[in-house]
Amino acid sequence: MLIFSVFKTLTDQTVTVELKNDLSITGVLKSVDQFLNIRLDSIKVLDEARHPHMIAVKNCFIRGSVVRYVQLPAENVDTQLLEDATRREAASQVKR
Amino acid sequence: MSEPEGTPPPPPPAEAPSASGSPTEFLKGVVGKRVVVRLTSGVDYRGILSCLDGYMNIALEQTEEHVNGIVTNRYGDAFIRGNNVLYISAAEVL
Amino acid sequence: MDSSSGIQEPFDLIRLSLSERVFVKLRGDRELTGILHAYDGHMNLILSDVEETILIVDQPEDGSVPKNAINVAKRKMNMLFVRGDGVILVSPPSRA
Repeated sequence: MLIFSVFKTLTDQTVTVELKNDLSITGVLKSVDQFLNIRLDSIKVLDEARHPHMIAVKNCFIRGSVVRYVQLPAENVDTQLLEDATRREAASQVKR
Repeated sequence: MSEPEGTPPPPPPAEAPSASGSPTEFLKGVVGKRVVVRLTSGVDYRGILSCLDGYMNIALEQTEEHVNGIVTNRYGDAFIRGNNVLYISAAEVL
Repeated sequence: MDSSSGIQEPFDLIRLSLSERVFVKLRGDRELTGILHAYDGHMNLILSDVEETILIVDQPEDGSVPKNAINVAKRKMNMLFVRGDGVILVSPPSRA
């Protein structure tokens, strides 16, 4: 839930999503859901020569499970806030 | 494979006094001991088992990573994500 | 109960590494080091100041395995979300 919230705060920002098949897509984060499925607008594929079928694609939906990384705009991520929220979530998860 | 008439059925497997019980009991008994954790990739981690959870996520101390019998890395502490675990084996007497 | 470090469950090891540089081993012969800012129960991670190392094993056509066939590619990323399903191992900084 925490990571979902982080992505929600980053909507309308530019991110780069790297998929498990090595395709990297930069675009504007339009929406995200609890599975971390991602909708991107105004997309640009990093290596178009290697993925020519993607040239004409302007926006896309990415299934969360195929994502390897998402590069985030560091200037819009409050790391202190993240760490506090992570500790709070860890504390709320009462284990056995 | 036919057995002679009147032979009693074989006795149930003997309960070894030290290594008896359920998988859960084994896991409880092995915490704090030296173990080998083999991943599905075939890589082994040898170290002291600090603790584990229901997903088989594992915390190890003084860990050595072995690939094809060669030490490839050492970690003071290591967290192993449970889905990668093939088995946990005791590396000392329990 | 526990021997030395006083951790009760594996995730404690990760929680105690927040705001520290960690080593992450991933599927696909990838390794990362970065400063840990967030994680969740899936081992989804958010790291900053990340260096990724990719091991590339050259496999010639004839199937032979030559010596020195392992190449290493490195790259840096500022702020990175790592999807948990690719994580194999996380190691905190060794505190002597």
